[in-house]
Amino acid sequence: MACSHTLIFDERLYDAQVLQKAAYRSINTLTVDIISEEGRFICVLSLNIGLDEPAFLSAIQEFKKDVLDYQLRHRLAVETQPIKNLILGLAFSKTGLISE
Amino acid sequence: MSKFQKLEFYAQQRPYELLPFKFDRLNDDEYVITNMAGEFLVIPVPMLEPIISKTLPLSSELIPTLRSKQFIRFTNEQAPLQLLALKIRTRLSRLAEFTNLHIFVVTLRCDHSCPYCQVSRQSESKGEFDMTTEMADKSLDFVFRSPNSAIKIEFQGGEPLLNFEMVRYVVLEAKKRNVKEGRDLQFVIATTLSLLTDDVLDFCKQHNIVLSSSLDGPLDLHNANRPRPGRDSHQRFEEGLQKARAALGYDQVSALMTTTDKSLPRARDIIDEYLRLGFDGIFLRTLSPYGFAIKTKKFMSYDTERWLEFYKEGLQYIIELNKSDIRFVEQYSSLVLTKMLTSGDPGFVDLMNPAGAGIAAIVFNYDGSVYASDESRMLAEMGDHTFRLGNILEHSYEEIILSDQLLDALENSFTLSAPMCSDCAFEPYCGAEPVYHHAIHKDVVARKPESSFCKRNMAIFKHLIELMGSDEQTKRIFMGWANRC
Repeated sequence: MACSHTLIFDERLYDAQVLQKAAYRSINTLTVDIISEEGRFICVLSLNIGLDEPAFLSAIQEFKKDVLDYQLRHRLAVETQPIKNLILGLAFSKTGLISE
Repeated sequence: MSKFQKLEFYAQQRPYELLPFKFDRLNDDEYVITNMAGEFLVIPVPMLEPIISKTLPLSSELIPTLRSKQFIRFTNEQAPLQLLALKIRTRLSRLAEFTNLHIFVVTLRCDHSCPYCQVSRQSESKGEFDMTTEMADKSLDFVFRSPNSAIKIEFQGGEPLLNFEMVRYVVLEAKKRNVKEGRDLQFVIATTLSLLTDDVLDFCKQHNIVLSSSLDGPLDLHNANRPRPGRDSHQRFEEGLQKARAALGYDQVSALMTTTDKSLPRARDIIDEYLRLGFDGIFLRTLSPYGFAIKTKKFMSYDTERWLEFYKEGLQYIIELNKSDIRFVEQYSSLVLTKMLTSGDPGFVDLMNPAGAGIAAIVFNYDGSVYASDESRMLAEMGDHTFRLGNILEHSYEEIILSDQLLDALENSFTLSAPMCSDCAFEPYCGAEPVYHHAIHKDVVARKPESSFCKRNMAIFKHLIELMGSDEQTKRIFMGWANRC
């Protein structure tokens, strides 16, 4: 029997890239179809062939946690991107690799 | 008019800013956060969101630690930026030095017939598998084009002692050229020690050549893993070890082990054998997916989970030894811990990003081919020439180092832009490993959730961090391993 489960995420709260990254991370247990519809992301989760139902339930739970984690990572990355560039600039400006 | 400002007024004044960091779940209760320089901190799950939302009270005990490890800074502080830049520069300083390790495969012939042989050795009589003088000369031209002030030449096989005349030639020729070059020149012979003679040892002593050998464990296990005529590999190793130590010095001979299915239940026996023979450490090493290890299906004889059990059992035993004042190191953990606990990079090819292929190590094969790494030439013996960078007799240094085969592999496998790796908290400790992923997945990046390299290393990183968090004495032992002289 094919296992399938649908999760719905509000587009105002979650970034599409976040769902894609969570889906990628779960690729070993799940495949995820992501559909954007009326301000919502509909994620249809299907269990990989050869895995059983307990593994599916566990994978759904992991997927939900990963979505939250990736959303937080996204916030953090956006906020710190300018200072990250500044730090890398500082680091590489003194390597002697670039002729002045 | 209100007597007090609204709460939001004060919230906006919070005097800390976030610095770039990444996080991953360590277990159900904790996250590990790491920054660009590899500093790490374990925090309870409920603390992560307040840190990122900057609602963590300034009175929190976490604030000084977050600040000292450069996860946050107070507004307008410049020192954290300079410190992070300095640590990153230190960590990447090897890149500017470029290639250090130059591997000469002087022959593919070998007196052993190990079923896990990753280089697909040939029988002792086949002279067509030997490097020629012309190839050696051209390879030395290449070696001294490297800008690195330290040059290591490692002789590999097969069994390099079966073509010792070529070893002798390369050493003498390299030293002759080095009179003018003035590099810090080192030589290593990777040998089973089974064919060691007094002449060989005299030469090694005269030229400060270090020996690197293989020891898989006690006699029965070693001889089962490493068959040779006479079934006496272990006896020959032990005799050779004693002779070599007497001639060259006690610490001039090292040994590597390879884990087979027969090794898995015997972690303690293997470590005890290393102790009995006077080694101060062991490298608990998994099988690699190359050569006979694939042909004989040895590589498939155990999975990552089983190897991790073996590794954890062995590491626990080694920690117990250290706690009872027997100084002994697990060398893979030591490499990882150096990346976790210092700003240094030990330069271990598997754990480098950009990948160490070509730029940290390069291989001159017995047939004139130049490969990006030892694993690349192993892959080539299986008919896959993806990482063949050129031929030493036909191509220049520039053609080889700037070849698409090398540059594409380095660029495409760069972990800071690879899916999943780019967000992974353990990325500062890990490596790109394009050759391994190509060998298994036919893609230099591969899908990381399906990668046993990713699974194995992630488990090791988490295990080491958890061990340090759970026991102060273990943490002190690990700090000693990371800061070895």
